[in-house]
Amino acid sequence: MEELLAEVVNVLVVVVEACGAAVIIVGAVWAFARFVWVGVRHRTTAAFVPVRLTLGRFLALGLEFQLASDVLRTAVAPSWEELGQLAAVAAIRTALNYFLSKEIAEERRQIADEQDQVDVTSHDRHGGTV
Amino acid sequence: MSVLAEVTRVAALGAGAAALVAGALALAVTRRPLPALAVLLDMLLAAGLLRLLGEPDWPAILTAATLVALRRLLSAALRSGVRARTAAAVQEKSAL
Repeated sequence: MEELLAEVVNVLVVVVEACGAAVIIVGAVWAFARFVWVGVRHRTTAAFVPVRLTLGRFLALGLEFQLASDVLRTAVAPSWEELGQLAAVAAIRTALNYFLSKEIAEERRQIADEQDQVDVTSHDRHGGTV
Repeated sequence: MSVLAEVTRVAALGAGAAALVAGALALAVTRRPLPALAVLLDMLLAAGLLRLLGEPDWPAILTAATLVALRRLLSAALRSGVRARTAAAVQEKSAL
């Protein structure tokens, strides 16, 4: 019974990890294509920020899957060495997920502020001519 | 080695190479090192996360931890730079 549970958990871990890997790979490919596009077409620093934001979202989603697989793995972690590595990886992923969420919120706020400034400036310009 | 481990190993290598290309492109386009470094680190982070899949060894774990710390440090530096520039622009505007 215990062996069957371990087998099922191992299969689940692989499936969940594969989902996380797929999300990260798709995000990285998409971001690379966008970075090249933005670099060739727009050629401004600000144009890179939304792409980084979206890549951050992809990475955060991939991390959620990886954390889920970490939780599953705790069901079957036989040695202290493996448990230590699992704890270190889970700590890195949790910290990264936390910082990524904060960065995404901060950069979204920054983009909204910049948009507001642009709106106010264009409004002032139009107001001045009328 | 399992299929998943092989796929993620190749994908991590590809993401690392893509990080170098994207970082170099960002540096060439913007001519500012910090945004280019941010692009490089973001893509390298994707590669690091792919390397953490499966059963990573301690060097892979340490590399990922260093990348996360570097990325955090750099984004703080970038944000403080943006804030300083915004404050300077506001001061300049109010002086006019």
